This record gives sequence, C-alpha cells and structure tokens, in this order.
Amino acid sequence: MLRASLLRTRPIAPAAGLLQWRVANRFFADSKKPDETVLPGSQSAKTNIEIPSPTLSTSPANPSGVSASTIAASEVPKTPPTPQEVRSAPVAQPATTPPTGTGSASVAPPPSAPKPKKRRFRRFLLQLLILSALGYAGGVWYSLVSDNFHDFFTEYIPFGEDAVGFFEEREYRKRFPGQNVQQRLHPQLSGEQKVTIPSKHGLTSRIAGEGEGSGSNLSSSGPHVSALEDDKSRKPDPSGETPKVGSTAPLDAEKPTESLTHDLLPKAAMIDNLDIPSAKEPVVQDVVKILNDLITVINADSAASKYSSAIDKAKSELGKVISDITALKEQEQKAAEDKIRSAHLEFDTAAKELVRRLEAQMHEQESHWKDEFEAEREQLAQTYKHKLDSELEAAKKLYEQRVKNELLEQSIALQKAFSSSVRDRVESERDGRLSKLNELSSSVQELEKLTWEWNSVIDANLKTQHLVVAVEAVKAKLANAETSTPFVNELAALKEIASDDPVVSAAIASINPAAYQRGVATPAHLIDRFRRVSAEVRKAALLPEDAGIASHLASLAMSKFLFKKSGLAVGADVEAVLARTEVLLEEGDLDGAAREMNGLEGWAKVLSRDWLGEVRRVLEVRQALDVISTEARLQSLLVE
Amino acid sequence: PTTPVARTTRPISESLLNEKWDRCLSSMLIRSGLGLSFGIVFSVLLFKRRAWPATVGLGFGAGRAWEECDNSFKHAAAPSKDGLRVLRP
Repeated sequence: MLRASLLRTRPIAPAAGLLQWRVANRFFADSKKPDETVLPGSQSAKTNIEIPSPTLSTSPANPSGVSASTIAASEVPKTPPTPQEVRSAPVAQPATTPPTGTGSASVAPPPSAPKPKKRRFRRFLLQLLILSALGYAGGVWYSLVSDNFHDFFTEYIPFGEDAVGFFEEREYRKRFPGQNVQQRLHPQLSGEQKVTIPSKHGLTSRIAGEGEGSGSNLSSSGPHVSALEDDKSRKPDPSGETPKVGSTAPLDAEKPTESLTHDLLPKAAMIDNLDIPSAKEPVVQDVVKILNDLITVINADSAASKYSSAIDKAKSELGKVISDITALKEQEQKAAEDKIRSAHLEFDTAAKELVRRLEAQMHEQESHWKDEFEAEREQLAQTYKHKLDSELEAAKKLYEQRVKNELLEQSIALQKAFSSSVRDRVESERDGRLSKLNELSSSVQELEKLTWEWNSVIDANLKTQHLVVAVEAVKAKLANAETSTPFVNELAALKEIASDDPVVSAAIASINPAAYQRGVATPAHLIDRFRRVSAEVRKAALLPEDAGIASHLASLAMSKFLFKKSGLAVGADVEAVLARTEVLLEEGDLDGAAREMNGLEGWAKVLSRDWLGEVRRVLEVRQALDVISTEARLQSLLVE
Repeated sequence: PTTPVARTTRPISESLLNEKWDRCLSSMLIRSGLGLSFGIVFSVLLFKRRAWPATVGLGFGAGRAWEECDNSFKHAAAPSKDGLRVLRP
C-alpha cells in the first residue's frame, strides 16, 4: 500500500533527462517482484503473456539498446545443418575430448585452438630477455662473491667488467663514505690511459751492411765520418753518368751544370781529407759533418758553382780553426805537465817530512814504555815481598796457638778426672741416706693416687645413686598416675643427671615425644578403651576384603548373632584374637596383648590402630625405663 | 584433672566406621529427599500427577547415595597410597 502511494506521488516527467535522473535515483520500493520476472522457456507463469519488448523508457540504462536490437548480419545465428549433412560431414574429433555419446550430434565442441603465433614469438623474446637479464645479474652477483668466477666473467662476458666494477665501486663507497671518491679501480677498467703499442714498434728490418756509413758511428774506433767513403760511394755515379752524357744528346743543356757539380765534389772531399788527422775533437767532427752535409746538398743541387767560393772559404776557415784548436791544446798540455811536475815535487818533500816525524814519535814512545815497565816490575817485587812476610808471621802465630790449645786440653782433662773422682766418692757416701728419702716420696705419691681414685669412686657412686633415684621418680610418677599425666620434668632431671651416658640418652631418645609431653595411658584406661574397641571390631569381624555397603550391613547384622569366645581361645579369627587379648590384658601382659591385636587384618586392624598406638607408647616408655634402670645398676656394679 | 582431648584433625580409629555410617545415612536422606522432590515437581508439571516420576526420583537419589557410600567403604579399608611411590616391575 505504501509502495503504491509512493509510486503515485512521484511526478511523471516527460523529458528524457529527467527520466534518466529518475532511473538513477531508483528506490527500493520499485524493485522487481518475483512474479514479474520472465524466465526463458515455459517455467515462468507469464509465458503465455507476451514478453514486452524493450521500450525507450528502459533505454537510458543501456543506451545502445535500440541499435543493438537490430542484429548484424554476421551475428545472425546460422541455421543448423540438417542431420544428413551432419552425418555426411567428416567428423573432426579432437583426441583429447572423448565422445560424449554414440551419435554424431552429441560430439563435444572442439576446444578453441589458440593461434597467436606472433605473440608466441614475442613471448619467447621476452622470456629470453628476462632470462638473460637474470643470468647477467646472477653472474654479476656471483662474480662479486667468487674470485674465480669474477675472472671468468670479466674476461668473457661483454660489459661484464664494467658492471662488476660499478658494483665494486659502489660497495667500496658504501664502506668508506668519508673518503674522496677518486677512482680506486684500475684505470684500465674505465678505459682511459690505455697505452697502445703499435706492431713492429722499434723494429725495422734492413740489410746489415747497408747505410752504416750514413749514420755517425761514434762508438767504433777509427774515422767516424769520412768524406772518402762518401766519395767512393759516389764515384760510380759520375762514371755511370758520363757515358750517359755522351750517349744522350738531347740533355746537353743540363750536362755542364751537372758535370760542374760533380767536378766540385772531389775538391770538397780533398778538404775533408785534410781535416781527418786533426779532427779528434767531437765539436770539430760535428762541424766537419755539417760541412759535408752542406757539400752533399750542394752537390745534389745543380747550383754548385754559386757556392764554391764560399765553401772554399769556409774550408780554409775551418782549417784555421782546427789549427788554432790544436795549438791551444798543445799549450794546455804543456801547462798541465808543468803543474804535475811541481805537484810531484811537493808530494816528495811532504812524504819525507812525515816519515821523519813518525820515527821521532816512535822513539819517544819506546823510551816511555821502557820506563813504565821498570816501575811496574819494582812495584810487583815489593808487593810479593810484603805478602811473604805476612804469611810467615801468620804461620808462626798459628803454631803458637796450637801449642797453647794442647796445653789447655790437657789441663781440662785433668780437672775432669779430678771432679769425677770426687763425685764418685760423694755419691757412694750419700746413697746410703738418700735412697731412703726416695722411697718415702714414692710411697707418698702412691697414697695420693689412691685418694684420687677413691674420690672418683665416690663420685661415680653418687652419680649412680642419683640416676637410680631419678629413674625411681619417673617410675613412681607413672605408677601413681590416675590419669595420663605428662612426666617431662622427671625425664628432664634424668637426662640432666646422665648427660654423659650414651645408653641413657639413647633410651630417652627412643621415647616418643608425645608420650612424655601428654603422658601415657594407665592400664585401667587401656582396658577400658579395649572394651570399646573390641565392640567396634566385632561389628567388622565378618567383613570380606574390599567390602561394599551391602557387606557392611550384613556384617553389622550378623555380628549380633556371633557367639562370644572367652579365655585363651584357639584360632586366628577375630573373635578368638579378641578373647585372647582380653585375657592377656587382664593378666597385665601389655606386650602380648599388643602382639595379638597386631595380628588382625583389614577393617579390624584399622579400627584398633589408635589403641595399638597407645599400648605401644606405654610399652616404649616402660622399655626405656627398664633400660635406664639396668644401666644404673650396671654402673653401680662397675664401681668397685 | 583434665583429660587430654583427642585431636580433632584425626578421628579416633574405632569410630571410623560409625562416622562413615553417619555420613552415609545423612547423604541417603538428603539425596533421596532431593530426588523425591524433583520427581514430585516433574509429576505435577509434566506428567499429570502420576505417581511414578516421584518414585523414580526417589530411586535415583537413593541409588546415588548408595553408590557413594559403597565407594567410601571400599576405599577406606585399604591403606591410602598418598605420598607413596609405586614401583612397577
């Protein structure tokens, strides 16, 4: 009802936008009712009602409803093939799907075959990339861990060295963050400062003899740079070229210049030849070499005639310079020789002076040592003489002392003999009287000892008397007691008296403390309690082992009809034991009564436990007292 | 002369059985009474005042008391094994 009213109150908007809003704000009230839903097939109740086609009012929920309603030609479901067609068509049945039935129509649809070929290749590439990246990363990591692998990795894997180096550098920086970040690694790793040595570096192949003359060979002896050799090597040239000049006519214009230069060459060689004997100085040699080079250059050039005069002048100048140098050298040599000679003379005089001085010194030292030796010898002789004198004196003194000692010994021996003889005489005389005195003193000592012994005897007697009295006191206390009374005081006195007697203290220790603190039961009390206990025990006399409530009841009832035994009955049953115990108790034999009751079993024993404990305590006290009194008697007997 | 009073913690041995009987009887009374009352209540509430629920309740109570008593008698005679070590072969 409420829903209906709500629906009615809602304004119906004609516009599509408002409609959309309304759909968006849907209420729970207008949810679909179950009986309005239309199920496919004939299950729903509304099948006979025609299914409403999707109208525009519902279209906003799916805007493409209208367009989608017109089905494309491709999506129109094909008409199924006729059974004959199906049967005639070859059944392409995949091996994986088993036939679901016998008919061809029930064959399961084949699984949609995947056919992304391109994608597979891409996937393979991707996997390869990932795998290789992983492998590379693993390699880097393992090379950081293992040295062996590090070597292998950096050598054979491209960029492996850089990668490992980068990680090592990072680790190093992490470990030492404060340090400057200079390149710690080998510079080779970063690829800088690489020194490349070209192939055949420093090695050139050549024939051994060739070109030796062209270089300056200063190390070898003899003429280092000779223009003659140069000349010799050149000589074949003009000879070879002159025939050429003669044979070849068209080259006439150039011939004279060439021949001129070639004529100049021997002149230059002649000048050089003059230089050689004096040219031992390296400077001169260099100059000569330069000049020769110049000459060769000029020779090679065609314009030799231009420089011939200049070269000649240079040659003559060179000759002058060389002669100057030689003159200078000679002068220097002479000066040096003079110097050497004067130095020799100086050394000779100095040596002579030195030798003379040394000899004088040696003489002086010798005389000095001689004097010292003499003085030392005299001193030694004197000391030896002193020693000899003192030893002689000592020996004399020793001898005198020894003689004196012998004399003294003799006198002492004489005195001893005298005194012993005197003592002998006196003793022999005194023994007669003093022996009697000795006897007297010994007898007095014996008397003293006797009195001491008697004192101890008297003490022991007193002690035993005290002991006996104390024991008697305890016994009297026990015997006279009407009810159980504590006898701590008496026992304490007894213990005080016989504190050093182990037997008495052991006996007292054997008594249960409860016995003397609360007292022990009197025989009358025991008998009285036995009567009560026996009545209870009799009730439980017929109980079997592990009895339940029924047997207890039975025992309680049946025990009323038991015949009472009396006197020293024979048998091990409860009634007989009770009778015997009673007789023994009346006789006063507590020990026997306790033994009898101890023979009971089961509930009977449990019931008589307290009574037994009481009897035992009494017996313990009695036994201890018996022991103590016996001990006291023994003590009194032991004293003589 | 004052007679020493027995310790209250441990009963006198000869009165052990009597005490047990006392306890048994009291528990029997109480339990059977409880059972009877429950039976009566049930019979009134559920069973239209039939007699048998009351007798059943009485039986339950009495049986429970009987069983307890039986147990107490059975276990009392044997010496208690508290604090003793049992050596098994």
